[in-house]
Amino acid sequence: MPANTKSAGKTALAETGLSEQTLMGLYTNLLKTRLLDERFRKLFRQGRFAGTYFSAVGQEATTVGPTYGLRDDDIIAPSHREIGANVTKGVPIEIIAAQVYARGNSPDKGKSHPCHYGWRPKGVITPASTVAGQTIIGTGCAMAFRIQKKDNVVVAFFGEGSTARGGWHEALNYAGIYKLPIVYVCQNNLWAESVPATLAAGITDFADRAKAYGFPGVTIDGNDIVTVHKTAADAIAKARSGGGPTLIECKTYRWYGHSEIDPADYRAQEELEAWKKKDPVLRAEKLLTDLGLLTTEKREAMVEQISAEIDAAIDSVDKAPYSAPEEAYNDVYSAQFPVRRDEY
Amino acid sequence: MKKVTYIEAITQALDEEMARDERVFLIGEDIGLYGGVFKATKGLMDKYGAERVIDSPISEVYIAGGSVGAAMVGMKPVPEIQFADFITPSMDQIIQQMAKLRYRTAGQWTCPVTMRVCCGADVGGGLYHSQINEQWFVSQPGLIVVMPATPYDAKGLLKAAIRGEDPVIYFEHKRLYRWIKEEIPEDDFTVPIGKAAVRKKGNDITIVSYGLMYHRAAEAVTALEKDGISAELIDMRTLLPWDRETIFESVKKTSRAVLVQESSKTGGVMGEVGAAIAEEIFDYLDAPVTRVCGIDVPAVPFAPPMEHFFLPNADKISRAVKKVLEY
Repeated sequence: MPANTKSAGKTALAETGLSEQTLMGLYTNLLKTRLLDERFRKLFRQGRFAGTYFSAVGQEATTVGPTYGLRDDDIIAPSHREIGANVTKGVPIEIIAAQVYARGNSPDKGKSHPCHYGWRPKGVITPASTVAGQTIIGTGCAMAFRIQKKDNVVVAFFGEGSTARGGWHEALNYAGIYKLPIVYVCQNNLWAESVPATLAAGITDFADRAKAYGFPGVTIDGNDIVTVHKTAADAIAKARSGGGPTLIECKTYRWYGHSEIDPADYRAQEELEAWKKKDPVLRAEKLLTDLGLLTTEKREAMVEQISAEIDAAIDSVDKAPYSAPEEAYNDVYSAQFPVRRDEY
Repeated sequence: MKKVTYIEAITQALDEEMARDERVFLIGEDIGLYGGVFKATKGLMDKYGAERVIDSPISEVYIAGGSVGAAMVGMKPVPEIQFADFITPSMDQIIQQMAKLRYRTAGQWTCPVTMRVCCGADVGGGLYHSQINEQWFVSQPGLIVVMPATPYDAKGLLKAAIRGEDPVIYFEHKRLYRWIKEEIPEDDFTVPIGKAAVRKKGNDITIVSYGLMYHRAAEAVTALEKDGISAELIDMRTLLPWDRETIFESVKKTSRAVLVQESSKTGGVMGEVGAAIAEEIFDYLDAPVTRVCGIDVPAVPFAPPMEHFFLPNADKISRAVKKVLEY
């Protein structure tokens, strides 16, 4: 590499304000999320697991960026499209795959749903399908951290559609009053299932909602991993040091349907094509290549390594048994209150 | 032993549990500075501070959901719903999150929330301050539902609920707050969740009830005694999971049952109790299981004659008992 190019790269690296290690870490998680997500889509279409699958392809930066650098004892409150947050928080691919396949070795033993990822050792609280529910619970976690005088933070993820729910507003109102240690990440992917954001609210920038609760709201390019990570990291540091909540709206887009059973034919093809040009993974790749941190060979090696990891995980869950049906009787109450078993 | 009212017993339980376990905190509307609209939390903010006795905004969704989140990271929340009538916004959090959390995470997380719900009629509260909606919750496995009828049980069940690992909906009846007094021990005690109390032994018929209606049933039992009828009186105390053994044992002995609840008949707790008796101990019955309930209208009407027309009372219960005995 010519000396002048290397020097130009160093200047640009400084401009990102992030270390080489952070940039590579972010990119690795973006790539892992993309590859895993596309694999699950394919596996679902092959009929390899039941239910449906909620892909987040196209909006990986919104989940990887805020999660990277969190501590294990920080909480993330995801919804169903936050596979990237789980990957980045450090949930092993085997655990995520077991969840998607509803196998007995899944953290929920197969009880909830393929995309209800949750794993206590990494502080990922399992979501329910009632969107925004998790935002409220995440706010409760932050309330507890305040009472416990701990410096843990919560990062709560949701889509712009969830902000129509009353409980979402109650949670943010509460967080504003008590300056709770929480960062709200709104992934505005322009579509709440089939309802466009223009029919979900009378505003275009959902970060404006924060004003009503007395804390800052910022709208950012959700497909730019550097911007997303830096904005979130600043907000997290502020929350951790007692500065209160921030609402970050990430403008982004999901490439596929609400779930794999949705052909998304309510959207214009041109809209999709325009957003595909803003692919967050390719943009990160370009940045890292320009900075001299990534080469085609290096990327291919990374893809190979991650794919092998995914192959091993899928192979393992393919062989893993489901829980016995009687597992359905467990975990209703503590052991003190056994569930009645009807016999016929 | 000192005589205390039902509401004093509740305050004592909260105070003692907050003193013994720093994870216990309270959140609800008007519970701090004001001490609660019925004064159940009087003095607790002064004693434990505003971080453990939290005056919440009018946000039943958050009161319930925030409590779930706090419980997940090691706290023991005791949220208050000021009137059962206002619990509807929090139903999503109670049913979808609180009740299912242990199940949908396969026990990774538990939800030790004790939600105090002030309920009940016979206080002139009208349509939106008199409801008793325990039937909405007893259809949801994953929840514990309790309703004490006496100061002793009010204190003991609340302490047991707070010390437990399951989400408990704790219904307290506002008509009972200052109406009944009882001597209770000054030493620490709990009342086991899931166990009914046989309040009076009898041989001719079993009367099952809970909450305020337990007292109406007790009045009926006293009146029936004068007519030579020996009724066995059971106070359910826990409505989910309910004490099948105690009730079945009694009905097997008496062969007859009258079930009394304050809420409307349709879809109520006693529908479940009655169906279980029919399903499991039918051979022991000498007469149809009969229910005495609130009338099937949307809520308790306001004007006093209509309110009392709505509610079961000792006369209605006595007439039902005699009808069953004559069958």
